[in-house]
Amino acid sequence: MKTIKEISSNGFAFTLARVPGSQRVLFGGADFKVYDVDFSAAKPEAKALGEHKSYVTGLALSGKIAVSGSYDGRLLWWDIDARKSIRAVDAHAKWIRKVAVSPDGKTIASVADDMVCRLWSVADGKLLHELRGHEEKTPHHYPSMLFACAFSPDGRCVATADKVGHIVVWDAVGGKSVKTLEAPGMYTWDPVQRKHSIGGIRSLAFSPDGKYVAVGGIGKIGNIDHLDGKARIEIFDWKKGEKAIEFEDDKFKGLIEHLAFQPKGDWLLGGGGANDGFFLFFDLKSKKATRHEKAAMHVRAFVLDEKVETIYAAGHGKIQVLEAKG
Amino acid sequence: MSHLRRSHFCGSPMHALDRRGFLGLAAGAAAFAADMTQLNVLQHPLLAGEMKKQQKRCILLWLAGGASQLETWDPKPGASTGGPFRAIPTSVPGIHISELMPEMAKRMKHTCIVRSLNTRNGDHGGAAQLMMRGRRDEANLKYPDLGAVLARELGQADSQVPDYVSFYFATEGRGSAPGSAGFLGSRYAPMELYTSMIPENIRRLDGIDDLDHKQRGELRDSLSKQFAKGRVSSSLGSHGEAYQRVRGLMASEKLFDVSREPQKIREKYGPTLFGEQALAARRLIEAGVPFVRVGRAWWDSHGENFETHRELVPELDHVMAALLDDLEQRGLLENTLVITLSEFGRTPGINASLGRDHFASAWSATLSGCGIQGGSVHGKTDAKGERVADGEVGAAELFATIYRALGINHQKNYHVGSRPVPLTDPGTKPIKALLA
Repeated sequence: MKTIKEISSNGFAFTLARVPGSQRVLFGGADFKVYDVDFSAAKPEAKALGEHKSYVTGLALSGKIAVSGSYDGRLLWWDIDARKSIRAVDAHAKWIRKVAVSPDGKTIASVADDMVCRLWSVADGKLLHELRGHEEKTPHHYPSMLFACAFSPDGRCVATADKVGHIVVWDAVGGKSVKTLEAPGMYTWDPVQRKHSIGGIRSLAFSPDGKYVAVGGIGKIGNIDHLDGKARIEIFDWKKGEKAIEFEDDKFKGLIEHLAFQPKGDWLLGGGGANDGFFLFFDLKSKKATRHEKAAMHVRAFVLDEKVETIYAAGHGKIQVLEAKG
Repeated sequence: MSHLRRSHFCGSPMHALDRRGFLGLAAGAAAFAADMTQLNVLQHPLLAGEMKKQQKRCILLWLAGGASQLETWDPKPGASTGGPFRAIPTSVPGIHISELMPEMAKRMKHTCIVRSLNTRNGDHGGAAQLMMRGRRDEANLKYPDLGAVLARELGQADSQVPDYVSFYFATEGRGSAPGSAGFLGSRYAPMELYTSMIPENIRRLDGIDDLDHKQRGELRDSLSKQFAKGRVSSSLGSHGEAYQRVRGLMASEKLFDVSREPQKIREKYGPTLFGEQALAARRLIEAGVPFVRVGRAWWDSHGENFETHRELVPELDHVMAALLDDLEQRGLLENTLVITLSEFGRTPGINASLGRDHFASAWSATLSGCGIQGGSVHGKTDAKGERVADGEVGAAELFATIYRALGINHQKNYHVGSRPVPLTDPGTKPIKALLA
């Protein structure tokens, strides 16, 4: 996979969003700041919009409004043209892990380690729903984490997924649970060697037709200290409550941190890593990984452009623009 | 090794007098105290009071694999090395610890943080041995670890309970830091529990009745004495002593059974294995066991350091706070030293896997309770936590401080053959400011 452009992310970048139809990207990470960078420039340079009080882990864009989420528990609204923060909401009591925006751009979902998903009005920052359906403790009595969320393509549903592999699909309008799914293979509790766990469902995506929910993480870990487990994907026909695909990769080890379907729904792209990083193309018909690409960093988030020709990726140390063809 | 004269006193005349008084009281209550393994021995107020006053004990919370000082006792919020966790104030003005430890923050009056350990060994095996023994073995001399020394110094010669118990259930790192009596011999070797909360094979076989068991013991003793005639061997003596204690140890099974505790107490410690083992440790020391190690593995967070500590530190916080509360409420804390210690800390630098690696140059341990100036901090690291900025100490100084806190002369000599072997290397000084 050819690197087209790349800049330093000033440390670990955890989240990224792209202004549609442009090469302008916003990202945030371990230096607490929210940046934007225009890769159409001859020498792209990241400029800070402002900052949180801890790691920035979620970003979503709705027109000229960006919403960032952080381990400080706050959501910040940004006017990306004026380059300033326009609203701050104390959204969660614990770390915010992910932020997603509905397809119509009206609603923001945030998930955090208080194990609650909250839906917010983009327009005025009002809380619309509190979605509670994830246990605060793991079966082994340790704090659980609510890592992932995503809206369905029609915007009617939002799905959330946690550390122990519990997935809930919610009615985003009514605020009620409509389906629960289980992916216990994503929970990496080691009962013998190390007596702890660091896996969990880290990524989640709906298929373009809304029929499937894909989740990503890591399989059974040989050496938990080094993320020494196979990259793992599970795909559910969520309305039927059936697991359609369970896949562990033979080549790449590490967490699948981000998942995205190709717009036609033929394949799924996963990005992640352990010490190093990878992109994994997964064909839905053959149920096989059809392409493995090493990445120059542990990939935390990425966006495909409209033509599926370019990938904008954020990770440990870099923001990259990559050629997706091949 | 020459004859090892056991001493259970810190050396003060007052202590010795008190103990004689205690023994007189114990003799008067002989029928009551016949079985020292009965926890309800402590319900006799005078006896319990004296026991609590006299006997010093130690619980080591061994954080195997290397807990991060930055996510526990020495946070660096805002530094490039600081990670995502905030620091919170404690009940002692000026002392801040990680936000992951709110319960310990409320109880800082009991605890001293040593933030300036530089132990110069970042290898699991070597470092674990160093931090269990306070020094490196010599080519021809294997040193006893902390538990074995305290078993010898604090244990009662006629004790019916084990002197040194070690819980370590995870398999990772277990081989790096096995309990070791070194030159003190098997009499002070740990009772090590790996898989079961209650010692396995501790019960008399069903096919042997009590009389038979006693007679077998007497026969073994008689044969041993014949064998030992004309032989001078510390190993033989230590071996014989270990056998003489068998029947007492067999009766101590119930001490390990936390289900005998009121539900309210069990809930305070929580449902995790670490919590249950800490509760068992309290039961054991309450009944007179001088040293218990509770091993909690595995903190070796080369990848996803913050997720690992987000999982493990709240457990440490909860269990340690429950243990200190329980000891205090029972009047045991002033004579029980609770230590948190690892083989090393973790690098301030964050690696490409969001992990922290091994780091022995500037890390932390804590001492709480017996003989310690609680609510204090010794030493300081620099702004990024990369170096000790003030008050550097090594394993030897830490061990000297532990011994002194427990009323043991850290310069005391054992003898291996004719060679005097001090408890800590010559010239080692305890951290006086930490001692009560």
